[in-house]
Amino acid sequence: MSGTELTENELIEERIDLSRATCPNREQRANGINVWYGKASNLVKEARSGCLRQRERNFQQSSGCVLNFYLSVRIGTIRDAVAIYHAPVGCSSSALGYRELYRHVPVELGRPANYDLHWITTNIGEKDVVYGAGEKLGAAILEAEKRYNPKAIFILTSCTSGIIGEDIEGVVAKFQPQVKATIVPIHCEGSRSKLVQTGYDAFWHAVLKYLVKKPEKKQKDLVNVASMLSYTWQDRLEIKRLLGKVGLRVNFVPEFASVEQFEQLSEAAVTAPLCPTYTDYLARGLEQEYGIPYFLYPSPMGVAHTDEWLREIARHTGKEKEVEALIKEEHEKWLPKLKAIRHEFENFKGNGEKVEVLGALGQGRLLAQVPYFDELGLKSSAAMCQDFDNLILKDLEKLLVQMGDFDILVNTFQAAEQTHITNQRDPDIAMTCPFQGGAFKRDKGVTRVHALRSDPHPWSAQSGYTGAIAFGNFLLQSLKSHSYQRTMKEKTQSTYKDWWYRQPNSLYYLQAED
Amino acid sequence: MVQAAEFALLSSSRGLNQRTESGVIMVISESLQTTNIISGAIEAPRYSCALGGAYSTAVGIFGVVPILHSGAGCGIGQLFGQFYGGGQNAGGPYGGTSTPCSSLVEEHVIFGGEKKLANLIESTVELVNGELFAVISGCVPSLIGDDVGSVIRRYKEKNPNVPIIHVNTSGFAGTSYDGYEYFFDAVIDQLLEKAPKEKGLVNVFGIVPSQHIFWKGEAREIKTLLEKIGLKANLIVGEFDALENLKKIPAAEYNIVLSSWIGHKTANKLEEKFDTPFISFPGVPVGPKQTSEFLRVVGERLDVSANIIEDLIAREERRAYRFAEYIGDILLIVRPHPYLAVVADSNAAVSITKYLANEVGYLPDIVQITDNPPEEARELINEELTTGLETPAWPEIIYEVDAYRIRQNLKDRNFLFLLASSLESNIAGPEFNAIHLTVSFPSYDRVVLEHSYAGFSGGLTLLEDIMSKYAGPL
Repeated sequence: MSGTELTENELIEERIDLSRATCPNREQRANGINVWYGKASNLVKEARSGCLRQRERNFQQSSGCVLNFYLSVRIGTIRDAVAIYHAPVGCSSSALGYRELYRHVPVELGRPANYDLHWITTNIGEKDVVYGAGEKLGAAILEAEKRYNPKAIFILTSCTSGIIGEDIEGVVAKFQPQVKATIVPIHCEGSRSKLVQTGYDAFWHAVLKYLVKKPEKKQKDLVNVASMLSYTWQDRLEIKRLLGKVGLRVNFVPEFASVEQFEQLSEAAVTAPLCPTYTDYLARGLEQEYGIPYFLYPSPMGVAHTDEWLREIARHTGKEKEVEALIKEEHEKWLPKLKAIRHEFENFKGNGEKVEVLGALGQGRLLAQVPYFDELGLKSSAAMCQDFDNLILKDLEKLLVQMGDFDILVNTFQAAEQTHITNQRDPDIAMTCPFQGGAFKRDKGVTRVHALRSDPHPWSAQSGYTGAIAFGNFLLQSLKSHSYQRTMKEKTQSTYKDWWYRQPNSLYYLQAED
Repeated sequence: MVQAAEFALLSSSRGLNQRTESGVIMVISESLQTTNIISGAIEAPRYSCALGGAYSTAVGIFGVVPILHSGAGCGIGQLFGQFYGGGQNAGGPYGGTSTPCSSLVEEHVIFGGEKKLANLIESTVELVNGELFAVISGCVPSLIGDDVGSVIRRYKEKNPNVPIIHVNTSGFAGTSYDGYEYFFDAVIDQLLEKAPKEKGLVNVFGIVPSQHIFWKGEAREIKTLLEKIGLKANLIVGEFDALENLKKIPAAEYNIVLSSWIGHKTANKLEEKFDTPFISFPGVPVGPKQTSEFLRVVGERLDVSANIIEDLIAREERRAYRFAEYIGDILLIVRPHPYLAVVADSNAAVSITKYLANEVGYLPDIVQITDNPPEEARELINEELTTGLETPAWPEIIYEVDAYRIRQNLKDRNFLFLLASSLESNIAGPEFNAIHLTVSFPSYDRVVLEHSYAGFSGGLTLLEDIMSKYAGPL
């Protein structure tokens, strides 16, 4: 445990090599893992000394892969593009909601009235596995061009295309001259990495390599923000509102963006995060290739972090004075509301104890949520996150100094482990992703971590000042009725046998180290 | 270089346009022999893979614990793609992130995933409450040549009392519909034993969980109907006691298949192996006419007294048609004799089109069938949607899986209603000036729990749904 400290260079492979077909996996790039439970201080120590290692479980549950966690449901939202899944037919079934995504966002709130999204599967079958499917992929590219005349054609690979050794770059080289669209191959074979976050890097690698153009002009008032769909339409509006007030414009990518917005990423003044671990590869790439400054911490969640986020942007855009004035103005408006929420939480138990919350989701949200919960007067003595890697190490160290120690369970949607820790910790509010197994069946509060789709209702916001207030109220609401989760606990059988809850170890099935 | 030719292959429609006696164009496909004939790329097809279908079948039989031997994303992918798509259903206690999964990655591609699976089976049986464990193989083990059969054999030798089967499939082995058959194939081969026939016991096949979005309500309605005529109906899907129900499959006197093609492989195999005859219908019966016919045919085959059948039909018909009086005004004043377009799987397409044409006066304009039935079934489907309809002009029947062409095929027509999937929910109005209702997979815009259009009053339920889309002060 006590090895020498690794240098930043050893902790993270910082150089982005766009001459390669794809990024390194998060495992290699930043020593990513997704199995760990214990004190955050120990996690940091192990990571810093290079002792942190990925371990195996004897029991695992389906948790998402490089393709089917994020990319399959999101790349198809890029507006003037076609996504082609070079895969058996099932790898893209999760994209079947594509024509409905964002349609609940009213046009009055900024959704364009007319847009059309498209995806195609190469439908790899038994014969293709033997003879190869490169020609089918080529035919699909031509057909995509013919049908829609898109500006970009994304190719998303799969376990099967990877294992049978499809020459994706060869197909691209052969067919690019025949189509006007820019072909953008994304290497997101599910089997390439244990960490779903590798999918983010694989996507940004392809964007940087194929789509981003050399800047024609610098746009000093343009801020790049990589926005995942787990941040709502209201979050976008809030960020636009805040930056708009100081004369800045936002370039939101990738969801719902046009191809032109990707091309212009190189012209912005700064790249700012919503989720640091999501934005990381893009931000570093844009700096390395085009000298665009970036920062990854903090995210605009909670009042204090929103202040800092705005100040970071101001530093790169020369808007320091305007931003200070904005912060002052916003504080006057929102701080009394925050105080009221805090007051309600403080008095909820009636015995001076704080309301305890078990939250987080990705490692980025972990960094954002813990201080925000503190702002609300909540106690979070433990948090869960999907994975952990050295990209957030420094920021987690900072967080520990600021907040003190807490426990972390690192696991990617391992429902049995999450049910166990929720049961053991018995927090007042357990936050869950909408699809996290049976952890919601309990006697106390349950609510979601975030909206899964682009929920346009102000009630669902989480970012900026309006989001800080909305999310605070949202959490208060979760304490007000337990009837669904309690009834389900009483009336349905648990997925797991009783002994699971009686033994103390959430990582019971962790394999002994060799 | 392959150009659009590859795409032509996937179009099973617009093959030979045959002129029928009445002069209406009927589209008969080219020689399509198997369910896997579609070999080209497809835009947004309305089904998932064989793993997806086997998995949703397992999850749809309460008490089966699926164990995915696959990449880690297959369960979540199918949660979004099959369960949410099948009427916004959560995965439940064993689906989605609750599903045990060997989560194979590169190291297993190189060294094999058998050890990992063996560990996973041990721990799953130890940890998870369940009656039957179903290992479902995905693409990775099929490609790397894992001997899953032997892993399971070894486990069974050590644990003879744990019911476990292996559904030997993969993502590239077919569609969701094939996956349903693969699941039952594994059950028949690995779980079932000959049993004495039980008088009045019938199994029902042909309803695929999730893929047929009204599967739970349909199963329940069919069970109730069969019980009303004195039969013991083993629906299997949507029912508890998974192991007991599966094990009594060989004891059935008859198998009833509610599809022109899905479940036929299963029923054929059961006939071969256990001498159980089967009878099939083109879909789940919707409304009084189809339901009466269904009961009469079943009653005749299973020696149910004609009195019981006719008494039931008389009672139920009287009620259903008395209630149908209530729609008289909104039907005749607002949208009488409307032209109708249907885009649906063959089960739903046939039953719904027949009901609306034969009992409500709708005029079917075009029916697009999206589940790619084999050639034999297409003949039957074509017959159902032509001579089976009491309508002056037969609809154009197109077998199409490609979302682009399905959309093209709807252009320049005059239908007022588009009964389809949620893929059409946002285009029906702006592009076709039609009122839309989701009746088929995917159904992201409708939550479907117990709802269905099966049975005597099912037609009325369908009318409630259609008419609620345009109802207003008369």
